[in-house]
Amino acid sequence: MNIIHAVGVKKDFGALEVLKGVDLSVSQGEVVVIIGPSGSGKSTLLRCLIELERIDEGSIYVGDRALVENGVYAKEKDLREIRQRMGMVFQHFNLFPHMTVWKNLILAPLSVLKMDKKEAEDRAFEVLRQVGLLDKRDELPKNLSGGQKQRVAIARALMMRPDILLFDEPTSALDPELTGEVLTVMQDLARNDSTMVIVTHEMEFAKNVADRVIFMNEGVIALEGTPKEIFENSNHSRLLSFLARKDTSAEAMPST
Amino acid sequence: MKIANISKILLMGIGNTVTVFAVTLFFSIPLGLLLSFMSMSKIKVIKAPVRVFVFIMRGTPLMLQLFFVCFGLPFLPYVGQYLVMDRFVAACVTFALNYAAYFCEIFRGGLLSVDAGQYEAAKVLGLTKWHVRTKIVIPQMIKIVLPAVSNESITLVKDTALITTIGVTETLHYAKSLVNSTASVLPYGVAAAFYLGMTFVLTKLFAYLERKYAF
Ligand SMILES: Nc1ncnc2c1ncn2[C@@H]1O[C@H](COP(=O)(O)OP(=O)(O)O)[C@@H](O)[C@H]1O
Ligand SMILES: [Mg+2]
Repeated sequence: MNIIHAVGVKKDFGALEVLKGVDLSVSQGEVVVIIGPSGSGKSTLLRCLIELERIDEGSIYVGDRALVENGVYAKEKDLREIRQRMGMVFQHFNLFPHMTVWKNLILAPLSVLKMDKKEAEDRAFEVLRQVGLLDKRDELPKNLSGGQKQRVAIARALMMRPDILLFDEPTSALDPELTGEVLTVMQDLARNDSTMVIVTHEMEFAKNVADRVIFMNEGVIALEGTPKEIFENSNHSRLLSFLARKDTSAEAMPST
Repeated sequence: MKIANISKILLMGIGNTVTVFAVTLFFSIPLGLLLSFMSMSKIKVIKAPVRVFVFIMRGTPLMLQLFFVCFGLPFLPYVGQYLVMDRFVAACVTFALNYAAYFCEIFRGGLLSVDAGQYEAAKVLGLTKWHVRTKIVIPQMIKIVLPAVSNESITLVKDTALITTIGVTETLHYAKSLVNSTASVLPYGVAAAFYLGMTFVLTKLFAYLERKYAF
């Protein structure tokens, strides 16, 4: 069963064609890692999946429902329900700075899912333990390290029990020594059968965790396959030069 | 004349000064907030009138606006007869509208500087537009605008002295007549002390709020 099924997705920003017909299916429990050069449309693709950007042509199905079919979007009320099946983790965390970790977590379950307080707090307890931050529950985000912020952001997304989690370069804004703690949390999620689409420049992580790796280039999926196929057996010239550049520059690429 | 006696007489005006101040803030802040959201609307018929209103209120002297509302409106054809207001009420209405225009601009600036990522995180979590505004955007906007709002309210303390020009008796009015009748400069000093006292209280209040909104 596909959690996400996108067909012929096209998107442009004015004269700039950013997605030129992308097909993407993600099945239950699958971990898909998207790699590719800066500006190739990776973020835009993720953002279109969860309707932070609107596509111009194509269809996106989430579970059994159409977010957009042949370029026509569902009604606002349906969009809200469909988006709710997905969670997203951003490069810059986007925690609510005026709320404690705890409030960040329970806000949406209380006001969107109408969970009762007890249930929301039990869930918050559970997800905070999962990301190893129970002792930070009463802190404001500004008192956390980048790695801790991102783990809270992941916890906040988990609160909603999404069918799929989308990650847009979750470690790119972090100091190198803090990426590990975030990647570990994501690896745990993968092991527990979470469905995830992850845009990242962490190639080691992709090799170890991905079920499937997608190489995007200039607005299309240039190549996809298992980590082995992509990282070891491919002779795709664009991919090879992209990977070679990654090897020489230890640092993550600047991203948009 | 003793300071105590001067103060007793000034006190008769201080009531009006404080009332105009309080009523103005009470109405202009919510109105300014509403206007700021309207002025950021994508719908032209909502946005345009607000922009015109703000342009006029900020672009003309407050004293002219006071005269206009108090003495001008009653001369309007047809509707004028319904627009005769008690002078004190006219003062409050004018001040509230004038300050709402300034607050509108301050709040608009604050809203614009809330990070776009906040809206995206809220949308992805499924919050309604109302909740995004009330729970996410406005609290962060408040933190940003507090220094400017503090500044405006201190300006307002002193602007209240303008209502004397439409014949509403306030602090400065009594100070001036006391100076004339006693041939002493002391009443001005007492009036100044009163304004400084009010400003001091406001400064403390906003310092407290800024600490509370230090996230
Ligand atoms: N909101 C936008 N408006 C205009 N151009 C955009 C916008 N978002 C992204 N782009 C452009 O679209 C292209 C793809 O961007 P993006 O999807 O962020 O790439 P990636 O995430 O792979 O680095 C880039 O050229 C970028 O400048
Ligand atoms: Mg990107």
